[in-house]
Amino acid sequence: MSASAVVTLLLDPELWRLMLTMAAPLVLAGLGELVMERSGVLNVGVEGMMAVAAAVAFLTMLKTGTLLGAAAAAMAATLGLAVVLGYFAITLRSAQLTVGLCLFVFGTGLASLLYRLVIGVTTATPTVQTLPRLAVPGLAEVPFLGTVVFTQNALVYLALALVPVLAFLLVETSLGLRLRAAGENPRALDTVGVNVRALRYGAVAVGGLLIGLAGAYLPLAVTGAYSDGIVGGRGWIALMVVIFGRWQPGWALVGAILFAYTEALQFKLALVTKAVPPQVLLMLPYVVAIVVLVRLYQGAEPPRALGLPYERESRL
Amino acid sequence: MRNALAEIAKYAFAFAVAALAGAVLVAVMRGDVLGAYRTFVWSSLGTAGGFAQTLNKMCPLLLGGLAVGLALRGGYFNIGVDGQIYAGAIAATGVALALETVANPALAPFAVVVGVLGGAAFAAIPAVLRAWWSVNEIFVTVMLNFVAVFLTEYLTTGPWNDVMAGEAITRLIPDAAKLPMLSVRAGSHVGIFLALASAVLVWLVLERTRWGFEVRALGDNERAARVAGIRTAWVTAAVLVASGALAGLAGAIEVTALHHRLILGLTPGYGIMAILIAVLGKARPLGILAASFAMAILLVGSDSLQRSVGLPASAALVFQALIVLSVLFVDAKRSVRA
Amino acid sequence: MSGPPTRSTERLRLEAISKRFGATIALAEAGFEVRAGEIHALLGENGAGKTTLMNVLSGLYHADAGRIWLDGRPAEIAEPRDAIRHRIGMVHQHFELIPPLTALENVIIGQEGSTLLLRRERQARGVAALAARFGFEVDLRAPVAALGLADQQKVEILKAIFRGVDILILDEPTTVLTPQEADALLRTLRTMASEGLSVVFISHKIHEVLGHCDRATVMRAGRSVGTVDASATTEQALVEMMIGERVARTAAPAEREVDDTVLLRVDDVTVAGRGGLPAVSHARFSIGRGEVVGLAGVDGNGQRELVEAIVGLRRVTGGRVELGGRNVTTTAVGDRLAQGLAYIPEDRLGDGALPSMSVAENLFLGVHRLARGGGLTYRPAAIRAGAAAPVRDYAIRGTATTPLGMLSGGNIQKVLIARALAVAGHGDTPLVVAHNPTRGLDVRTTEFVRRCLVDVSRRRGGVFLVSSDLDELMQLAHRILVLFRGAIVADLPSTAFDAYEIGRLMTGAAARA
Repeated sequence: MSASAVVTLLLDPELWRLMLTMAAPLVLAGLGELVMERSGVLNVGVEGMMAVAAAVAFLTMLKTGTLLGAAAAAMAATLGLAVVLGYFAITLRSAQLTVGLCLFVFGTGLASLLYRLVIGVTTATPTVQTLPRLAVPGLAEVPFLGTVVFTQNALVYLALALVPVLAFLLVETSLGLRLRAAGENPRALDTVGVNVRALRYGAVAVGGLLIGLAGAYLPLAVTGAYSDGIVGGRGWIALMVVIFGRWQPGWALVGAILFAYTEALQFKLALVTKAVPPQVLLMLPYVVAIVVLVRLYQGAEPPRALGLPYERESRL
Repeated sequence: MRNALAEIAKYAFAFAVAALAGAVLVAVMRGDVLGAYRTFVWSSLGTAGGFAQTLNKMCPLLLGGLAVGLALRGGYFNIGVDGQIYAGAIAATGVALALETVANPALAPFAVVVGVLGGAAFAAIPAVLRAWWSVNEIFVTVMLNFVAVFLTEYLTTGPWNDVMAGEAITRLIPDAAKLPMLSVRAGSHVGIFLALASAVLVWLVLERTRWGFEVRALGDNERAARVAGIRTAWVTAAVLVASGALAGLAGAIEVTALHHRLILGLTPGYGIMAILIAVLGKARPLGILAASFAMAILLVGSDSLQRSVGLPASAALVFQALIVLSVLFVDAKRSVRA
Repeated sequence: MSGPPTRSTERLRLEAISKRFGATIALAEAGFEVRAGEIHALLGENGAGKTTLMNVLSGLYHADAGRIWLDGRPAEIAEPRDAIRHRIGMVHQHFELIPPLTALENVIIGQEGSTLLLRRERQARGVAALAARFGFEVDLRAPVAALGLADQQKVEILKAIFRGVDILILDEPTTVLTPQEADALLRTLRTMASEGLSVVFISHKIHEVLGHCDRATVMRAGRSVGTVDASATTEQALVEMMIGERVARTAAPAEREVDDTVLLRVDDVTVAGRGGLPAVSHARFSIGRGEVVGLAGVDGNGQRELVEAIVGLRRVTGGRVELGGRNVTTTAVGDRLAQGLAYIPEDRLGDGALPSMSVAENLFLGVHRLARGGGLTYRPAAIRAGAAAPVRDYAIRGTATTPLGMLSGGNIQKVLIARALAVAGHGDTPLVVAHNPTRGLDVRTTEFVRRCLVDVSRRRGGVFLVSSDLDELMQLAHRILVLFRGAIVADLPSTAFDAYEIGRLMTGAAARA
């Protein structure tokens, strides 16, 4: 392949559009996790929660045909899982990493179980209609950017819009100030009369809803079908996106785009080259993730109370 | 005494939760609940063949649990046991196929050793990254699971593919590379002995060597270990590599003793079950032993229900997770009250 | 029957407050009464229950029994917000601040003034005016993490008075201050009290209480022993109330038998800090056999970095560290330890303790690399047996098999000291580096720890004592170095010990020629 062909490939607007399409679930799940972590609750069960959401969304869509219903059902399911995590982490003050991992396993199993229970064993994989692309009038015609940004499905627009909203909320509002404080020093927040527990439960719930939407996105906007590996590590990558973004929504978006680009590129490469085995290309995003990881932690300062349960009456 | 009773009550509660979930599921599927319980117990414990099945399943679960548990004692989470099982299986298969023409009985143990090294080498990536670059081992091991699966898919469908099978499986390894059966009639293999020996070895290393003491110190408080002059980076690297070696052994046994070939889907999530087992066994070899036995029963029992009432295979994972979550719940509830 | 108290001057009364944590009784019917416009000291040694009692008053702890009266009326304080509503504010000893947030955000949090948007500019004007009125000016835009401890304390006080207080509780406020800063704070408090504010001043330093407070309530073992007028009591009387008996100061100053053999030489050592600035710059000193060298300084001036560089936990960016004449600048921690360099870390739990492992295992940690014989094997029985002597000699409450995390802070510290002394005893350059070794300990344990350190020097070992307690340094050290912004600005012989002078040096006043 010549150098110019490579450049053409790397800058292909279709590739970039796919990138943004694939970035959306990472953004949604990443923002959900970010809200939780900013409040001090670590949720490593994202992968399992997304799996459950994907299964529930797909099955609801298949049975009812309503997109909103499918998304809502998925979000309700992950809200439930998030509340379980919150109960363990906030009320019972368990080790959050351990509980999160168990929820990951639980979710992985539950998603598969739900699908089999409803669908049974079939030879033909049932499918649903995926979300249509919505071209934004006027903007869609802008060269490059029009294709990349403005001919996406509705959830991509939503994910992108949530980034500045959340950033504003964190920095410019009282609620954001308190949320940040809960993750840094919950006792300080408690001594000024703010209910740390309620705040953290709230953050966990919001996080759960967003992670649910991210999981629902996969069958509803990408595959149109469910399979057991559908999440494919995106839950874990969402966790990395938060660290990559230094717990800032804007930078988390950048991280999501970076991971999504390698994913989209792998799709593209599989189409244009036959020389490399497809499995090697499929490894690409994961290998890139490890390479990124090496630098990921340098200078990263997580919220100081992240993962630590707060107990008012603990003696210091 | 009261403590022992409370512990027993805790596990009874946890298993009751899982049993109840099972009953609900069977009822939903319009099956006979009591019959299902009977099938469950009978199939996993009641017959020689069933018990052999249970022991065969226990082998990777015990080794995987030990892998996760050992790392956990050092303060690290190895979520990559599945990947390391594949790495061990790939290495063992590779050497067995490469030496196909060598009809030496030493080939089987050699393949197992190479499998162990394969798992260790694969775990060396997160080990080195964690020890000297402070890269979170959870992420690296998770990502490497995907890499290992795709590598296995490539090998089983590509260069080592059994063209006659039409599936993602490799050619059979030569007879010389096969580990002996324990009971041909029941279908159990010697892997369980290797796994049990590994449990003893892990216990000895942790509790009766100074290196094990350093691992435990590291796991209890990394800073304090460092302040006390322990070379924490080396201990970290070593414990993660050793963890991978245990998983590699599991992979090698699955190939040389059970399937006699590398197959895609060699591990139906043994690695994530191993997390549950290590948590349930409190990262202690004896606890892991008990937990892996219980989980193996669950796996085999659920498997038979799949045949009889069509219970999906993934139900086992849900039951296992419910058991561990219930135990965590009781533990947490108790410590909150104290 | 006490009945509602008279309203003449009494503002607050705590009555028979009891509180237990598990099996430990923290407060047993403790109580006292505070008048309007007074500075009331709550005096007692560490662990006497002073902070716990005030945490009850500020709503952080829920009392098991007892009553609170405010202005003659019973008050229900179940939550911090109740205390705020009753105009009670507390400045905690370990500040309850949120380091990455700005000073302003820390002050206004919880009372942002509007439900949705933060109106920083508008709030900043109000807070700045308040600060100016009482002399607590700080850079409101700076993140608290970037402020010095004295400024952080100002933010804490501002936070309290921003909410409006009639009763201001300060928990050991002077421990982070130099003598000069402490004087300034006490003067300000006096002014505020003269305007009607009631101040509860928690302290374990008697001279502060006698010099600056109106009355003092002494607490001991969770009970209030009595309340006295500061003008009508003596130091000796207060000591006896605090301790319950006469405890002679046992740690006599070490005999000055310093010999010329140098154990530790720190030569032009520089350690990188955050943001490119050196945390330690060009430090130079040495410690001889039999010598106790003290390091004074306001917390956060590079003490931790310097200590960690000496021990080997932190990389030195310039200069040399020598142990017994051998260059150990790049030597691993364990190898320094093998030479006899022992370390008692400031952060006992974080850097010293293996909380879920046994006392015996904790005593074995570090020593395990030095103990001869055994090689690779680990013999639990032998290790338990080896712990018997230190458990007895150091009067550690617990057995060899007790998990360390179950012990009190003082007992944990004894374990760490036993371990450090064992390490020092194994090497040929016995040197103990101790960082705030008595912080938070009760009088008896404090004296015990000090005696241990003095004993090291008597046995011709060296001690590098880093402490934020000037009295402790002046009592134990042969020489005191003063650290300011990472540089050693003075090296004072015992003849030149003077708290005010050292205090001046600690805040950057140039050393006198």
